[in-house]
Amino acid sequence: MASPLLEASELTMVYGTVVKTHALKGVNLTINSGEFSSIIGYSGSGKTTLLNILGTLDRPTSGTLRLLGEDITKMSDEQLAIFRNRNLGFIFQFHHLLPEFSALENVLMPTWIQSKNGSMKMASRAKELLELVGLKDRINNKATALSGGQQQRVAIARALINQPQLILADEPTGNLDSETTEQVYDLMRNINATLNTAFVVVTHNDHIAAKSDRIIEMKDGLITRDYPAAAMDNDAVWKEIAPKYCRYCNRDLETDGATALLL
Amino acid sequence: MMFELKIALRFLKDGRGQTTFILLGIAIGVAVQIFLGTLISGLQKDLVNGTVGSSPHMTFSAAETADASGLSSANGFVASSAGNFSRQEKTLDNWRPLLATLDQATETTAVSPVAEGSGFLLKSGERWPILVRGIEPERANEIYELKSKLSAGTYVVEGDQVLIGTSLAAEALLETGDTFTLELPGGQRQSLTVAGIFDLGNNSLNETWLFMSLSRAQRLLGFGDDISRVEVQVEDVFAADLLAEAYEKQFIGIKSENWKVQNASLLSALTSQSSSSLTIQAFVLLAITLGIASVLAVSVVQKSKQIGILKAMGTSSASASRIFLFQGGILGLLGSVLGSGMGYALTQAFLWGTSIQTGEALFPLEFDPAAAGTIIAIATVASIVSALFPARRSASLNPIDVIRG
Repeated sequence: MASPLLEASELTMVYGTVVKTHALKGVNLTINSGEFSSIIGYSGSGKTTLLNILGTLDRPTSGTLRLLGEDITKMSDEQLAIFRNRNLGFIFQFHHLLPEFSALENVLMPTWIQSKNGSMKMASRAKELLELVGLKDRINNKATALSGGQQQRVAIARALINQPQLILADEPTGNLDSETTEQVYDLMRNINATLNTAFVVVTHNDHIAAKSDRIIEMKDGLITRDYPAAAMDNDAVWKEIAPKYCRYCNRDLETDGATALLL
Repeated sequence: MMFELKIALRFLKDGRGQTTFILLGIAIGVAVQIFLGTLISGLQKDLVNGTVGSSPHMTFSAAETADASGLSSANGFVASSAGNFSRQEKTLDNWRPLLATLDQATETTAVSPVAEGSGFLLKSGERWPILVRGIEPERANEIYELKSKLSAGTYVVEGDQVLIGTSLAAEALLETGDTFTLELPGGQRQSLTVAGIFDLGNNSLNETWLFMSLSRAQRLLGFGDDISRVEVQVEDVFAADLLAEAYEKQFIGIKSENWKVQNASLLSALTSQSSSSLTIQAFVLLAITLGIASVLAVSVVQKSKQIGILKAMGTSSASASRIFLFQGGILGLLGSVLGSGMGYALTQAFLWGTSIQTGEALFPLEFDPAAAGTIIAIATVASIVSALFPARRSASLNPIDVIRG
């Protein structure tokens, strides 16, 4: 039995003082190590707010959050910064590389922040990671000289450099074409399998969600459904994610077919 | 290398145009500061040197009121006249301890005892009023640089060999080797020989001064072993007044004079010149500081995305602000070092430019590396200070605002 990597209980988030917006209304969530989960839901359902809180980038209005057994809500901003650097990896929609630096330097950035010595060792690890994401020939390219998919793969390598147990991704394929989306997804899945890194991916892409271990659906600031996609067959998953496509569910759907539907 | 420094350098390198412009701005400002500073200090040095370079910075003579310790001279008061005024002047006795102390002092560069009295030069039935100055030749030369100011003859001041000025020589039709008669107020006469003719660059001195040996002057003037005063040059001319005061306190029965009292108007001109130069320098520094502040303020906005990402990856707020402090420091240091070079080049250009026609620069300029170092240090510190505001903005940036896009 894997110990929980992340335990959130009764998380609420209220924006504004005069006109109050309840972005989260009491979220309970447990993530286990090595789990690949997707959070889906309409815009404004609170997905990104939740992810930012789970990633310690934002503080909840109330509720508690434990990461790796530590109570995050009691930490100072500076402590949180160090915690993030050591234990979490981030992948953002717009890849957010530093354009002034090369692919290799971007991957090394989290280690520089930690001011780790033994940079030679780190540099070789960064090169390995860039090889893992298929960018062996591009390590010295400036971030701006890479395509969107390549940049996102650099961002994935960067998220991995400090060997975090949990990677949080906010629409990592949001602005990539479908073929690149597939590659990036496969890469994340591959890392999940080989390094046992847990992923929490916020996505609009039902196709990615369908291939997760676990699907978490959100609506109006609450988790409405949470089911293990890995344990279900394809039809059942699609029935859950997209009931409106149910008329196709009777057919023998292949992955490609599902993609076609989405397109 | 520190992480923040690495980021700061890359940000600066990446913003090439912006960095170049602000560096040039700082460099020009610092160059102006250095050139102006060098010019003003060179000009002042030249002025002061012209004023007191070849004259005593301070003199010590007997106090007017005799004191009880028995300093009073056996010869009492001696009438002396210089130029068109007369005064009663008391001679200085027991002056050797004072001379010895002044010789020992590290602040002094030249010390010369003088026995002075008025008289007449008689030649061909005509009389010219003169001022007899009894000196020790080597010591007096250190103040008046007489050796280099001889227009004829040799620097011999002993026995009946004396030196007279060019104007007097011309009027009395005297040449080296000629003899003439000196008549003193008491009526006694002495025959003397012209050993050399000097030009002190001052007509009234060239017309009246006559240098003879100290011992002969003492005898002719009836001073015994007394002298009129001790003339002194010091290392730091601007400290002459304080030094003079100190010796006046140390030795009872002497009074001092110094060039600063006699040149009060020159000094106030120099002071106001210095303060206007300082004012200009302060405003240049202010302009530099504001320039850096505005460039970095824009840079914080431009780089807010990068700062946000760095913070999401675990960069602390203190670290995020250091990135901009480093940028300020680097700009200030590089700019001011570059500016010092330009300032040096400007001073050389000035020396060269003003010497084209005459073959000699308008006045000597000395590039002072210590002053340049001070300006570099001040500019660097000011640049770091100017980066404080952008640094604070960088520290307070919320990564979520950036990530949300």
